[in-house]
Amino acid sequence: MIKAVPKPLEEVLDLVKDFTKVLIVGCDGCVTVCEAGGSKEAKVLASALRLYFTQAGKQAQIDETSLTRQCEKEYLAQLSDKMDAYDAVVSLACGCGVQYMAEMYNNKIIYPGVDTCFLGVNEERGLYAERCQACGRCILAETGGVCPIARCSKRMLNGPCGGSDQGKCEISKDVPCGWELIYERLKTLGQLDRFEKPVDPKDWTTSRDGGPRTIVREDLRI
Amino acid sequence: MRLQYPPSVRIIEVPCTGKVDIMHLLMAFEYGADGVIVMGCLEGDCHYGAGNLYAKKRGNRVKEILDKVGVGGERLAMYNLTSGMGGRFAEIIREITEKVMELGPSPIRVATGKAVRPIAEVTT
Amino acid sequence: MPQEKDVTAQESAQRSGNVGAVMVVGGGVAGIQAALDMANSGFYVYLVENKPAIGGVMAQLDKTFPTNDCSMCILSPKLVECGRHLNIEILAPATVQGINGVPGHFTVKITQPARYIDLAKCIGCGVCAEKCPKKVPDEFNQGLGTRKSAYVMYPQAVPLKYAIDKASCIYFKKGGKCKACEKFCPTGAVDLEQKDQVRDLEVGAVILTPGFRTFDPSQYPTYHYAHFPNVVTSLEFERILSASGPFGGHLVRPSDHAEPKKIAWLQCVGSRDVKYHTYCSSVCCMYAIKEAVISKEHASYPLDTAIFFMDMRTFGKDFELYYNRAKDEHGVRFVRSRIHSIDPLADGDLQVRYADESGEEKIETFNLIVLSVGMEVSQASRELSSTLGVDANSHDFVATSPFAPVSASRPGIYVSGAMQGPKDIPESVMQASAAAGAVSASLGDVRWTETRLKKTPEPKAIRPEDAPRIGVFVCNCGINIGGIVNVPDLAEYVKTLPNVAYVEENLFTCSQDTQVQMTKIIEEHNLNRVVVAACTPITHESLFRETLTDAGLNKYLFEMANIRNQDSWVHMKEQDKATDKAKDLVRMAVARASLLKPLMEKPLSINQRALVIGGGIAGLNAALNLGDQGFETILLEKEPQLGGNARRVHKTIEGLDVQAYLDGLIEQVKAHNKIQVLTSALVVGFIGYKGNFTTEVLVGPGMYERKIDHGITVVATGAHEYHPKEFLYGEHERVMTQLELGDFLHREKDSAAKWDRVVMVQCVGSRNDESPNCSRLCCQGAVKYALQLKGLNPDMDVVILYRDMRTYGFLEDYYREAREKGVLFSRFEPDRLPQVNNDNGQLSVTFVDHVLGRPINMAVDAVVLSAGARAADTEELASLLKIPRNAGGFFIEAHAKLRPVDFASEGIFLCGMAHSPKLINESIAQAMAAASRAGAFLADVNQTISGITAHVEPDRCAACLVCVRTCPYGIPQISRDNVSEINEALCQGCGTCASECPAKIIQVAHFEDDQISAKIKTLY
Repeated sequence: MIKAVPKPLEEVLDLVKDFTKVLIVGCDGCVTVCEAGGSKEAKVLASALRLYFTQAGKQAQIDETSLTRQCEKEYLAQLSDKMDAYDAVVSLACGCGVQYMAEMYNNKIIYPGVDTCFLGVNEERGLYAERCQACGRCILAETGGVCPIARCSKRMLNGPCGGSDQGKCEISKDVPCGWELIYERLKTLGQLDRFEKPVDPKDWTTSRDGGPRTIVREDLRI
Repeated sequence: MRLQYPPSVRIIEVPCTGKVDIMHLLMAFEYGADGVIVMGCLEGDCHYGAGNLYAKKRGNRVKEILDKVGVGGERLAMYNLTSGMGGRFAEIIREITEKVMELGPSPIRVATGKAVRPIAEVTT
Repeated sequence: MPQEKDVTAQESAQRSGNVGAVMVVGGGVAGIQAALDMANSGFYVYLVENKPAIGGVMAQLDKTFPTNDCSMCILSPKLVECGRHLNIEILAPATVQGINGVPGHFTVKITQPARYIDLAKCIGCGVCAEKCPKKVPDEFNQGLGTRKSAYVMYPQAVPLKYAIDKASCIYFKKGGKCKACEKFCPTGAVDLEQKDQVRDLEVGAVILTPGFRTFDPSQYPTYHYAHFPNVVTSLEFERILSASGPFGGHLVRPSDHAEPKKIAWLQCVGSRDVKYHTYCSSVCCMYAIKEAVISKEHASYPLDTAIFFMDMRTFGKDFELYYNRAKDEHGVRFVRSRIHSIDPLADGDLQVRYADESGEEKIETFNLIVLSVGMEVSQASRELSSTLGVDANSHDFVATSPFAPVSASRPGIYVSGAMQGPKDIPESVMQASAAAGAVSASLGDVRWTETRLKKTPEPKAIRPEDAPRIGVFVCNCGINIGGIVNVPDLAEYVKTLPNVAYVEENLFTCSQDTQVQMTKIIEEHNLNRVVVAACTPITHESLFRETLTDAGLNKYLFEMANIRNQDSWVHMKEQDKATDKAKDLVRMAVARASLLKPLMEKPLSINQRALVIGGGIAGLNAALNLGDQGFETILLEKEPQLGGNARRVHKTIEGLDVQAYLDGLIEQVKAHNKIQVLTSALVVGFIGYKGNFTTEVLVGPGMYERKIDHGITVVATGAHEYHPKEFLYGEHERVMTQLELGDFLHREKDSAAKWDRVVMVQCVGSRNDESPNCSRLCCQGAVKYALQLKGLNPDMDVVILYRDMRTYGFLEDYYREAREKGVLFSRFEPDRLPQVNNDNGQLSVTFVDHVLGRPINMAVDAVVLSAGARAADTEELASLLKIPRNAGGFFIEAHAKLRPVDFASEGIFLCGMAHSPKLINESIAQAMAAASRAGAFLADVNQTISGITAHVEPDRCAACLVCVRTCPYGIPQISRDNVSEINEALCQGCGTCASECPAKIIQVAHFEDDQISAKIKTLY
């Protein structure tokens, strides 16, 4: 799932300090699961903003709500009759939600309340780790189920490089070498022979080099 | 023991500091508390396991928020006590009351012009 | 209050002649536990205590080892539960005068000395003590402080009622003068004409738990305890450390209230001493370490602490770790030397001279010396034994057999706690539960015949649309509240608050007539919420809730404003502010009350079958006790045969035949019509919760699968002897473990008798890096086998190489006997381990003698390794049952001190070596305790689930797992519908999940967010 962290409060304060009517919108999807932008975070941020405005001697109206998913029009539409009452909105959704809301409410100022980080897993509560870079063509079948794009610092297709040391990446002793992980996994699977043949250059057309991506699934569309 | 302490505190009972919600801490300040004290069991002695450790994390976050929004994190205090530490309890109330008096009324109360009487809030 | 008895059960009682009431004599922690266990299992309990309040010595302790829990904090919930229990009648003070009758039906005569305070009228306000002019030394504070002649023993005392101490009272001494207490008592509770009362009580059994007395060290002439104020006993030191003690928890010495810089503890004062008591008191090493560590924590300056000891006896569960931490992390000094005398210096300091282990003479000065006094039987307890006609052992403790560890010599009379032998709190608690188990097993047919049941009217339906109609009762508490807070002003103010339909002032809201009045008013004014502004919910909430229930209102529709303990008592000099505060507190209470909802306490269905896992001594005893209590029981053993480790033990140290006992026990279990035994049975699945478990088992060589539904589970999976890797074990047939020696002595007694010399090595596989804890059994094992060898051949050299001889309690007598019979004991340090050599088949041992300081080599016929106990392999079982284990693989009980046989997961119980290494008698006691606790749970078929539990609003649940990961009890689970599900039967209501949930979709009933917000919002 998408992993995000709450934006530093001072950054949000700076964004909204000149407004008097602000709506905070949480998202019940990924950002709830990673505890960055769910209902609770929306309430905490709203409360913090109210405290901020009140102590500054400013009359302000700060409300909060949360939507099922901000990456869906139908859910975003639930805000339509509320939007006029606010000068600005802080969306606690991932970058997708913030943009989609901005598209839908074209004349409204929409600010992000979280920093969207990566696609990853919850290793434990409060510990998230990247696993996928959404390159558009999955090669996990060739690499023992460990993605060199996401987990090798250099995104190398034929690793490891000379910077791999005792299973760690040269960028940091805390980062495991992605290729070491691939090697260990293939060894476990008895598929080390795959190292014999170099992996062909990857087809990157599905990744970012073709500009912003869309998916058209004709099988799903009427 | 009936140890005397300043009448500046109102106690709100919760089953465990694990139930002390970050929302309620912020809400107390929004409504004009000059200070809030969270009182839980000793660390390692939580009746329910680890509620007080979670409360500590939440308290730290609230302090950080209070600092950033200009209310002041020092207005929130957290203590770990046992039911046998009545003396310490009274001492804490005295200390916090003094500290809050020193800090003066909360900027929220000043801004909203609410009644001028220092009240700290304790949650246990 | 309407009460009725179970009629059918009563008929059955008449047939057997048994009485469904039990007397517990002694209100310390053991008596409290026995009383609670008995009352919760369906027996009416008379708890007889010779002081005016229960609590015993545990109430006087500051902290408890090895968890350093605050003693009063963990005890006081039990005190309160006892005090409130419908089926426990506390008789305090009272003493037993005589007994007649037979097991199942005794008549016990007791005397209740006059207390001069009417319990029904006393409200515990303390005015009598305040006005009493007579100060006397306070025995609760060990004479370090004073109290009045009118007094309550300690602030948390149960019953929280005052008493007048006739011996010091001016009225009684000066012939009718004074009467200050009577004059000022606001309720007329003082009755100086009160007479002693004698009562005859019919009971089915008696449990003795009178506890111990600390040894009086003034008997040691060279310690000058009576003359030097800075020589204190360990119990006095507990009071010095205690926050509620004479110095408010400030670590100072008595003579000049100066902070000590150096404190010494002298061990074995009155214990292990032929002049006084030869036995070991078992607890002093641990409490001395605890006191040293806590002292260091108290001191804001570097404090030097030294413990002078002979053998460090930290033999209990995780005690060795505590000892190591004290040494290595806290820097407590341990000096192996018995101090002969204490000499005074100027300004209150004290000097000790001692010879260290090398024999070098040393002199040290301390500011304070603590005498680690042992336990002994008091004169009153000796008389009690003789009044009841139970045999005492040679040390005056009640005599018991290892195979019936809580049965006194007279049938129907049981003993537990320190009166059975010196022991710590968890073992006292275990024995107390064990005694309760023994009584339940013998009086199972008369459960619920003498108990009182509370009959409650059908509750009124409160519809959500009904507007709140709140009745507010404001208590004056005599002058306790009314003397400070302006109550009429407060009452007028309360009338102006929203939703308040009725306001009344009472002199005492808690009085019986007010309860009756309140019931009427609730009806007349159609009230649907009640607020009482009075003392404290801790003592009174349950009373008012009962009144609501009697009036047909759900008990959760009640809120208390604490205007006494949190207001009038603590702001006496600021009356106006106290009145303002009272107004705030009542307004907050009213605001919350408006939002309270009725909560249903759903009945908990309880399957009446028990499952015991493990067929060793512990499991067999647990099954037998449960079967005798009348519960269908299934006993699982993974091996083809029952018996476990005990199969390899032939004799106890007392010389009893273990195999004969075991055969008899197995026969009894197998023949029992309530018990089914499944051997070669492996647990492969386990689901459910308290009262409703299902266990999947693969049984027998055919491995057929069976599903067992049951209401409780007892885990008794045992432990095994360590297989040494050291000392040539496995390389020479005469290097054997203790169990192997036992077998050898059993099989080849004659060849053993021909041995010239045997060396035993202690702590093999214990107290080392790999397994840091002490195995508890091996010291007594070595002594036992040494005595057996000496019995076979008195000329045989038996040498025991040890680190500390841990023959605790009465085992010390055998240690002494072994020394007298010429067994040699030589100490080694872990960094100078003995060496076992094999020279072409000839065994020899090399070790450094601690007195000579020289290596000694001796040829031997056999080397016996006292191999420690290791936990059974229970990794899979632990994960199936979701029960925790410690680093050594032993299961972790719910609370090391007060819940030694419970798991934190309700309905699962623990006993035997699966808990920690222990002797057969200790395993039997713990097994009976587990069976008792389990039986009490099964017997209480009317249990309900607390209404205060967490509830998930599933629609917006993100299934994020935060609740699953944060719940301290592991209760929330993600359901098949992919939302969080919280089983209300298991939820403890702490609210951690509710506060952590990132979607804010969990609410704790009775503490819902808006119910808390209401208080905050209305305050400002």
